[in-house]
Amino acid sequence: MLPSHAVALSEELLLIVHPSVEHQRITRNTARAVFAMRQRTWPDGQAIHVVVMPNGHPTHERFTKEILGVYPHQLQLSWDRLVFSGTGQAPDQVSTPRSMLERIATTPGAVGYIERGYVDERVQVVPMD
Amino acid sequence: MSVCKSCPWTRAGARLLLSVLSLTLGGWGQSVWANDAMDTLQLHGFISQAWVVSDHNRFFGPSSEDQGSFQFTEIGLNASIRPHRDVLLAAQILSRRAGGERDDMRPELDHGVFDYQAYADATTRIGTQIGRFKNPFGFYNQTRDIAFTRPSILLPQSIYFDRTRSLGLAADGIAVYGEKRIPLGTFRAQVGAGRPQIDDDVSATLGLDGHPGELASDTSFIGQVLYEHPTGNFTAALSAAEVNGTYESSLPGLNDGQMRFQPWILSLQYDQEFWTLTTEYAIRNVALQGFDAPGVDFDIAGESWYVQYLRRFHRDWQWLLRYDVLVSNRDDRSGRWLEARGNGPDHGSYARDLAFGLQWRAHPRLLLSTEYHYVEGTGWLPNQDNPPDETQKYWNMWLFQASWRF
Repeated sequence: MLPSHAVALSEELLLIVHPSVEHQRITRNTARAVFAMRQRTWPDGQAIHVVVMPNGHPTHERFTKEILGVYPHQLQLSWDRLVFSGTGQAPDQVSTPRSMLERIATTPGAVGYIERGYVDERVQVVPMD
Repeated sequence: MSVCKSCPWTRAGARLLLSVLSLTLGGWGQSVWANDAMDTLQLHGFISQAWVVSDHNRFFGPSSEDQGSFQFTEIGLNASIRPHRDVLLAAQILSRRAGGERDDMRPELDHGVFDYQAYADATTRIGTQIGRFKNPFGFYNQTRDIAFTRPSILLPQSIYFDRTRSLGLAADGIAVYGEKRIPLGTFRAQVGAGRPQIDDDVSATLGLDGHPGELASDTSFIGQVLYEHPTGNFTAALSAAEVNGTYESSLPGLNDGQMRFQPWILSLQYDQEFWTLTTEYAIRNVALQGFDAPGVDFDIAGESWYVQYLRRFHRDWQWLLRYDVLVSNRDDRSGRWLEARGNGPDHGSYARDLAFGLQWRAHPRLLLSTEYHYVEGTGWLPNQDNPPDETQKYWNMWLFQASWRF
């Protein structure tokens, strides 16, 4: 298990969405708002369904820092403030890349992230500007 | 928290929470609205218990007595659901005691809102909240009772003190929010109008508690504009409010009067991976007007500020250092005038608090904290626990807190 995990760590991280999401590209700014749970709908009006891995998971940490350019503690605080002030909700959490893929593939409007090696045709990869 | 006499909202709020739940569980939401409405139901909650020990002065219970005080407890439960892509229903019940009476634990509706997002595109969001909404005041007010959102057990008391807590907490009315993202950063604004909750804490602070009569809330206003750098590393906010109330006297010889509370807060934060520097500055105008009797009317401006450095020194550990200053009346910084008028010792008009805190996230759901305060002055010490003449100018306080969430 360990070696393949180590390989996955260095692999490219991709933003993935459910095929129903009509989104060709996404800006980093928009992605930040989406994962901070501050953007509730896609431009086509569909509800956004954010899926993340736990705080402290290396993939979550890499995605947050390298792709979004923010820190995990900032996202966590943003979610807590929304949840406990009645201004928003928390994201869905999954603990493995396989469950991430499964959740994104089966949930309309879903968005998440995954290492390139896990991607299959049931999800859509969205390039980030 | 004592029971709010002027608003029957607590019961209404409980009904709202129940109807949200029953609608969802009944499946009604599924058929009429969205297919996945049921999937959007979220339940969250927390329970926090503190132990407060002080050498002098009572803070949140008998902290200066033998065993210290265990009378600082916060319990909350909230539910939210999105029955439609542009609608969020959210409500939270809060049970809190901070010294005072056991009765204060009675659960109350903390917030209960119907949130409608009226417009959204890739960079813009405009919506409204109707119901009991949390006041966006400074960085911490909206979630001031949730330990996991606080950098320390006690928020800087110069700004987030308990004395007039009920006034600023939430309002029953309508708020409008907007958010715009441009490459330069994110701009957010929220304005609200509604009736705040006025509990006994306010009357006591204004010196009206000795009089037979009631302080009732009138329409009040709150607003906040906030700027956030795209990386979230820098945040600035300006919050302002005008809180109005009427004192209805039932004492012959004392007529009705008006209360006006106008706070402003400037908030700045610089946030890095391993450290965060935060500062807030507030000015509060408080006035009682229209009383014929001498010595009841007043119009003063108070001032507060703090600087706080927080260091994340290990994955689950952080420490904090903060210096926090309160001046109750800018025209009487030393408290000489207060003492001359016979309203207690001069040190009751200010407080300078040096605090050092430590937090450990022992588990994603468990937060353990401790902190030490060295305080000069009693400006934010809750009145209920301390007769002014028996307070000490210099005092020390230790706090320990365990908080669990789900």
